[in-house]
Amino acid sequence: MNIDEIFDYTSFNIDREAHIVLDPAICVRCDQRACTNSCPARCYTWSEEEKKMTFVYDGCLECGTCYVVCRPGAFKLWRYPRGGFGVSFRMT
Amino acid sequence: MKKNFDAIVVGAGPAGSSAALTMAKAGLDVALLERGAFPGEKNMFGGVLHRLTALEEFFPDFWDQAPLERHIVKKGLTFMTGEATFNVNFDTQASDRTPYNGYTVHRPRFDRWLAEEAQKAGATLITRTTVDDVIREGGKITGVTTLRDGGALKAPIVIAADGVLSLTAEKAGLRRPKFDRSHMAIGVKALIEMPKETIDERFGLVRDQGASTEIVGCTEGVRGGAFLYTNYDALSLGLVLHLGSLADSGKTPYDLLNRFMAQPQMAKLLRGGRLLEYSAHLVPEGGYEMMPELVGDGIMVAGDAAAMCIVTGLNLEGINLAAQSGVLAGKAALEAHNSRDFTKSGLSIYRRMLEESFVLKDLKLYKRAPHMLHNDRIYTSYPELVCGIMDEIYRIDGNPKSTMTQLLMRAVKEKVGLKNALADVYSGWRSL
Ligand SMILES: Cc1cc2nc3c(=O)[nH]c(=O)nc-3n(C[C@H](O)[C@H](O)[C@H](O)COP(=O)(O)OP(=O)(O)OC[C@H]3O[C@@H](n4cnc5c(N)ncnc54)[C@H](O)[C@@H]3O)c2cc1C
Ligand code: SF4
Ligand code: SF4
Repeated sequence: MNIDEIFDYTSFNIDREAHIVLDPAICVRCDQRACTNSCPARCYTWSEEEKKMTFVYDGCLECGTCYVVCRPGAFKLWRYPRGGFGVSFRMT
Repeated sequence: MKKNFDAIVVGAGPAGSSAALTMAKAGLDVALLERGAFPGEKNMFGGVLHRLTALEEFFPDFWDQAPLERHIVKKGLTFMTGEATFNVNFDTQASDRTPYNGYTVHRPRFDRWLAEEAQKAGATLITRTTVDDVIREGGKITGVTTLRDGGALKAPIVIAADGVLSLTAEKAGLRRPKFDRSHMAIGVKALIEMPKETIDERFGLVRDQGASTEIVGCTEGVRGGAFLYTNYDALSLGLVLHLGSLADSGKTPYDLLNRFMAQPQMAKLLRGGRLLEYSAHLVPEGGYEMMPELVGDGIMVAGDAAAMCIVTGLNLEGINLAAQSGVLAGKAALEAHNSRDFTKSGLSIYRRMLEESFVLKDLKLYKRAPHMLHNDRIYTSYPELVCGIMDEIYRIDGNPKSTMTQLLMRAVKEKVGLKNALADVYSGWRSL
């Protein structure tokens, strides 16, 4: 299973409105960045050269890991997507 | 759309639908709110739906009515090292007779069915609706607002059955705003398509018999374990990883899952299978220790929202506790409507009923299990110990054999240390 091909395995109905919004300045100062390895959909990528956090919510599985694991509290917004949007499990 | 109800249930998972079903059957006007396009769309779990004694009064022939995959007759525990596996299996005829002890299910099917049963009983099921906040009047919770056109719904009772993070309980001030990562585990799962006949052959099953196996030693030192369950024509396979340990390890859940699937013993079982779906979800492993306030003025909390999960390493119980707590919250709501008392003290009968049921009894009984599971030796040293001993017992290499006692003592000293082993046996005994 290649996590970069998550859209081949799991269905999403992507909302144009983000349900998770980060304050990237807090991520720059963060000492662990546990979100980058703990997120099961690899939504968080940290670039050491650019000192920059990239967050893409398109493949978010709405699992809640980042909500719990982020200690500095970087979220300006963390909620579930609007009704009917987001991940759509068919069988699981 | 109608705006006033006798009770509002947030979340159409097993807890919420059980609550709505209980209240609707007794004649209350109930709104069951779900953010998914249909109930179950957002829900994943490992895969064993334990016997739901709470729902047997509504479904006397549950196994003929619910959309189930297989009933579990074989339960297994596997210790795994890079090279070997040691299996303990429990296979009983008793589990092959109704009422069955547990089933594999697909949540998007099962949760939808249960919510539709609540709907048939008269509940108003409102999907595609994410609850945003609670409405408070004079200190009491009197309804919820939703992300759907800023809509608001009112009722004297709100039941928060919105799952592990329960943003509803948080908004109502019933749980602490921050979770402790050591109270949570993340589950990742691959659903693998495989013909029924192949599953039957590989796992030694007939008809719609099923098998469930928990595996330790396959998480590269990250605290946690794996599960492998048989559906009708698919396998559910995944890892449950303690969040603190995973975060600190720097490893990713999907790499661990991939390497687990590639492990030779697993690869043999999975051969020819095709990945159908990948999913993830948190488990409130802390159980009793992380439990929020269960009752407030105008509000009750049920299921995962109230951390009603028991994880012992041998079994993961959640659905059965969710259904039972949902039914009891529904019954408490009926009482409150009878006495017209929706205050915290009026609803506190919910807590009393939980105390008398297996829900709080079992949660208290197993409240030390999470501590035992925060012992790194379980995930590396013990699987090596068990497999090492088995290897020596079976190995023929021209050297004289040791007695079992010598073998055991040597292996314990080498892999774990005698003092640690004694302490672990003691703590394991106390927790289970
Ligand atoms: C990997 C894994 C393996 C597991 N294995 C097992 C097992 O083998 N056996 C077992 O018994 N249990 C198992 N569990 C636990 C079990 O899944 C849960 O205990 C159970 O699902 C809890 O039911 P619930 O109704 O309380 O919550 P959920 O099933 O989470 O339902 C909550 C519902 O609320 C909805 N919702 C959430 N927020 C909102 C909102 N703001 N507005 C509207 N709707 C909302 C969600 O979409 C969802 O439908 C496992 C869990 C995981 C993660
Ligand atoms: S853990 Fe939180 S603060 Fe740190 S990088 Fe991740 S999102 Fe940013
Ligand atoms: S909720 Fe889960 S999948 Fe979504 S961004 Fe957070 S960690 Fe990743």
